[in-house]
Order: sequence, then structure tokens, then C-alpha cells
Amino acid sequence: MIKDIAMIGKKSTVIDPTRNLRQRKLTQNIAFTFIWLAGLLAVAALLFIIYYVIKNGMQVIDLEFLTTRPAGGVSGKGGISTTIVTTIYLVILTITIAAPLGIGTAIYMVEYTSDLSGKKGFLGWLVNTIRTSVEVLAGVPSIIFGLFGFAVFVSYLKLKFSLLSAGLSGACLVLPLIIRTTEEALLTVPKSYREGSLALGTTKWQMIFDVVLPSAIPGIITGIVLSVGRVIAETAIFWVTLGGSYRLPQNLLSSGRTMALHVYMLASETRAFEKALGTSAILIVVIIALNLAINISSRQFAKKFSGK
Amino acid sequence: MKEIKKNSIRVLAVLFAAVSFYLLYSGFEKIISVDLPVSLALSQPQAIFAIILSLFSGALAVGLWRLKNWTKTAISLLSILLIIIFAVSEIFNFSTIVFAGESITPLSVIVSTFGKSIVNLLLNCGIPLLLIIGLKFVDEIFLESETQRFIVDKFIQRALVFVGSSSILVVFLIFIFTFIESSDAILNIGLGELLTGTVWRPGYIIGDQSGQFGLVPMLLGSIYSTIGAVILGVPLAILTAILLAEIAPPAVREVFRPAIELLAGIPSVIFGLFGMVVLAPLIRNFEIAGNSGFGILNASIILAIMILPTITNVTEDAIRSVPDSYRHASLAMGATRWQTIVSVVLPAARSGIIAAIILGIGRALGETMALIMVIGNSIAIPVPLDNNPLTILLATTRTLTGNIAVEINYAAGVHRSALFFTGVLLFLLLLVINRLAHFILREKQPS
Repeated sequence: MIKDIAMIGKKSTVIDPTRNLRQRKLTQNIAFTFIWLAGLLAVAALLFIIYYVIKNGMQVIDLEFLTTRPAGGVSGKGGISTTIVTTIYLVILTITIAAPLGIGTAIYMVEYTSDLSGKKGFLGWLVNTIRTSVEVLAGVPSIIFGLFGFAVFVSYLKLKFSLLSAGLSGACLVLPLIIRTTEEALLTVPKSYREGSLALGTTKWQMIFDVVLPSAIPGIITGIVLSVGRVIAETAIFWVTLGGSYRLPQNLLSSGRTMALHVYMLASETRAFEKALGTSAILIVVIIALNLAINISSRQFAKKFSGK
Repeated sequence: MKEIKKNSIRVLAVLFAAVSFYLLYSGFEKIISVDLPVSLALSQPQAIFAIILSLFSGALAVGLWRLKNWTKTAISLLSILLIIIFAVSEIFNFSTIVFAGESITPLSVIVSTFGKSIVNLLLNCGIPLLLIIGLKFVDEIFLESETQRFIVDKFIQRALVFVGSSSILVVFLIFIFTFIESSDAILNIGLGELLTGTVWRPGYIIGDQSGQFGLVPMLLGSIYSTIGAVILGVPLAILTAILLAEIAPPAVREVFRPAIELLAGIPSVIFGLFGMVVLAPLIRNFEIAGNSGFGILNASIILAIMILPTITNVTEDAIRSVPDSYRHASLAMGATRWQTIVSVVLPAARSGIIAAIILGIGRALGETMALIMVIGNSIAIPVPLDNNPLTILLATTRTLTGNIAVEINYAAGVHRSALFFTGVLLFLLLLVINRLAHFILREKQPS
């Protein structure tokens, strides 16, 4: 880098400085054009996918499509009502399992042991191990969670292909996400809030429950909405743990099919591309809505503490 | 006023006591009425449940009478639990009637079912709801001693240790179970055969156990499609990151950043579907024998789009973390903005960019469903379709992840174990890749 700039200096003594500058400007313009093109290409790819899916999907979406169940078999006929309901069940179940664990872990990491990381002793070891585990979990591909769920919940605990198996495996997938976002949310709560609470004579838990958590709620909700998006989008895990029955689940131990799974089955097994595109269109609209919600809420959360 | 509140709580306490006595009575009645030895009668689950409930209710009654704070918490939590249970069961009922049919449910049925559900819900949840609101209303008369608060505090601190260990437990269980399940394959087939065998032919078709389980075709499939994705996706992703971090005006960034984030959130099956219905017909335009439109090229394009958000985000962070003083110094020397980016900013952000690429590779190797849909899934080592070596891009193959997902649901015995070994391999590979990326990212921090 230093050599380059020195070179520029040397050259400019030999050649005409204005010309040199013009050349460098030209290079810059060419490079910037490419960069703009790359950025536009990335966004264009996204927009084209969304446009294509929604435009073609709209053609099959009507009331019947939304409120009747898939016909089953390889006919590719019928609607998607049961898959929508199953997706909602699974989202609720997964978040119910993962949120307490994730938020609890984040509270433990931020409020109780933030001064322990890197230290020796059992608790220091524990904290470092938790941190490493969360990183490992965040990097594990979903098919491994599926395999794990298949081995532990479906086979070993004999829960069969069921909502419960899928919910437990899905919870492992979103656990690191919830932990991380909650940790970030807790860290943005100003220290003065905590000191103020403790100075009033509250215990640590009262401080966390009545002061820190309410202030961090928007950030925590952002994490949960992100997890909802992950569960809705996830296919591999549910492919190997949920079974894929097109009927409506009657209880926690019955098999089911989420919308994403339905897209896969329609496309790969029955080649009913129109219906698959219709289901995808609904999925995309839901995902866009969730992303918008996250953007708005995280912006407001950032505003809340930025005034300090 | 305070007296009225106290008295109403005491009335509630009496009510709880009454419920407690009733439950106790009905529980014992069941045990006594059964003409059996006491030991057997005690095993009546309903009776035992009634007695336990009775004891609990009695404890609540005593607590309420003495205005203990914990009873307030316990009753509120129980009420919330009850409401959730009622709500869930109503939702189950409602959707079973409205959404499970093969034809459209008439609007009148929907409305009447909805009305019934709401009425049911109100009737069932009325008492718990009233309890919660009422208790909130008389909040201040409950007492809480110093020791109680202290005990709660300590208890939660202990409990959180276990909650926090849940992620360790999950990682541990993943290790244990995938390794145990794959041990059969390692013992019966052998590591050498698994890792260097070029034929994957599970025996289930023939019905005997003479299947061959070589993972080389899938390894190559994963590697080729990942290389393709890196070649296509990395330049695009890094240039986009430069655009977002250095060049684009804030207004453009406000639009582009959410778009990239949205790209990360789109379900992978939709990318797969897109590859099937849009890219495959396009690729089929190459007039080469055996070109199905599916294969490594299709997979690479789809993967390139899918890894773009990962790489762009991490790269952008890395570029942003380069101090502004570097840029100022370079610009002050007369360098153009492009020269500054190329010779100062990017070298300074180098480790972050490398980590980003590694994370992208990890993402590509772990992707499953989209690849199953576009790569063709043939169990063969990908070879060029004709004399032109580039036609290898059009060859169909299968990835490690796809191999698991396609076969696990019906696999048994050694076959199943071999699939778990595929999982172990993938897990270890990604563990190394991600640790490496985190290591590089962390090394960067002090500088």
C-alpha cells in the first residue's frame, strides 16, 4: 500500500499530473460502474425471484386454495389449508420450547456471568463452553439438526414423525439465534437502569425481571420474529422429522406438513409447479411482512436508547 | 379500602380451601369405593391427581389467607397456563372443522364455529382472567419478606445455570447420537471404503446387505457445486459489500441492505423451485446430449444467490470496522477513492473478508433442500457429458446433504448408519470451517 502511493508520486514527476489524475479517475469510474452493476444484479436477482414467484403464484391463489386441504397422493390437487395451520402450530410449538431456553441462557450470559468469560474455575469453564456451543450450533447446517432429531426424538424417544419431534428439532435450530439477539438486546440496556434498580433495594432477579427485560423487550421480540421466519422457511429438518402427512395434525404426536415442505413435495414429487408457486408466493409474502416488522421494530429499539 | 381488599382475598382463600376439601373428598372417595387393597387403590391415577391438586389448592388457600406474595405469582401463572391450554384446544377444534376438509367450508359454518369457539373460550377463560385482573387490582396488599426475595433470587440464579447449559447439552447430544448411529457403518464398512469408495449402492433394492457405500460421488458433488457457487457468488457478494459500505449514498443503502437481508430469509425451497422452473429450462438451451437442465451449473447459480447475504453481511462489517483515519490518510495522499478502497481498505479488512468467504462456503456445503431440487440427484461421479471438459457443469450429481435427506426416511440397518456417517462427516467438516472463520474474525479484533 505504501509502495503503491510512493509509485504514484514517482510517476507523477515523470508524466503529466493532470493526465495521470484523469487516468486514475477513469479507472475509478470503470471500477465503480462494475460495483454498482454487481449490487444492482444482486438486488435484481432478488426482485426477479419475488416477482416471478408472486406473479405466477397469484394465478392459483383463491379462497378454495387457501381453505381446502391438499388432495394427497401424487395428484397435486387441492389447496393448502392444512399446511398453513400446521406451519402455525409448528411455529408456536418451536418458539414455546426455544424462547424460554434462549432468553434464559442470554440472561445468564449477560447478567450473571459477563465478568466470568475467559476466567478459570468451573463457572468460567461453563461460560466459555456455552459460548462455544452457541457458536457451534449457529454453524450447524439444518440437515444435521434433522438427523439429530430423527435419531433422538423420532427413533430413540419414539415420538415418531410428529409435531413434537419437529418442534424440538426446530427449537435447536433457532436456539442460537434467540440467544444471540437477546444477548444483544440486553447489552444495549444502559448500565444506569440496573444501578438505579439495585440502589432501590431490589434483588438482582427483580432488577432483571422488572427493569432490564421490559427495556429489552423490543430486541427480544426481534429475535423471536427472526426465529419465526427461520421456522417458516426451514424444510430440511421437517422433511426428516415431521413426516409429511397432508392431514391436519390432531395432537402433538401426529404427523404434518408445513408450507415449505409442501412446496418441496409439490415440486419434486408431483411436479405440480403452479400450486408450488402459489404456496411459495404466500410464503414470500409472509417472509417480507416479517422482515418489515423486524426492520421497523429494530429501528425503534435503536432510537430508544440512542438519545442517552 | 385496604380492609375490603384484604377481606375479598380472604374470601378467595376460603373458596380455594373449599375446592381443596372437595378434591380431597373425591380423591379419597375413589380410593375407598374401589374394593381393593389400599396399595392397589393408591395406584388409581385420577385419585392421586385429585389429592395432589387438593394439597396444592390447600397450600394456595393458606398462602392467600396470610397474604403471601408467592401465592399471587402462582395463581397468575396457573391462570395464564389454563388460558393458553383452553386457547390452544379451541384453535385445534376450530381448524379441524374449518380447514381440514377437501371442499370449501360454507361461510355460515365458519362464522358459527368461530362464534362457538369464542363463547367457549370466554366461558372457560372467564375465571382465570378474572383472577389475574383481580389480583393485579389488589397487588399492594400482598406481603413479601426479605428472605423470600432472597430465596427466589438464589433459586433463579441456580436454575439459569441449567437453562444456560441447554445449548451445551444439544451440541453434546448431536455428537453422541450421530457418532453412535454411525458406528455401525464405521465398523462394518470401514472408514477407508466409506471415504474412498466410488460406488454408492445401498442394498435395500435387492434386499440383501451387500450394498456398497462409497461417499466419493457425493463428496465431489458437494465440492463441485460449492466451488461453482464461490466462483459466481463471491465476487458478486464482495462487490455488493463494497457498494454498501463505501460507495452507495445512504438512501440507496436503506433500500439495498433490507433487500439483502430479505434474500437471507427466503425459504431455500423457493430458490430450489426457482431453479427448477426458471433456470432449468434456460440451461436446457445448451444443445448437448444428456443435458437435463439440472446439475452442477444450476446448483451453483442457486447456491451463489443463497450464500450472497452471508458473505455480503460479514464483508460489509469487516469493511466498516476499518478506521476512518486509514481512509483519510490515503485520500490526503492524493489517492482516488477507488485506490483507497483497493490498496488501503480491502487489505485492512482482509481477514474479515476471508472469514466471510469461509462462512459462505460453510453455508453452501450445508444447504440441502434447494440442492436436491436442482442438482439432479444421480448417484454417480460427475463427468463431462462430451469431449468438452466444461460440460461437467451440466452433469447431474448429488451432495452429501442431499444424500442424507433423500434416503434417511426409508433407510435401515447399515444403510441408515452410513447416512449418519455422512452426517458426521458433514458435521466435522462444518465444525472445522466455522471454527476457522470465528478464529480469523476474533484474531482481527485487537488490531
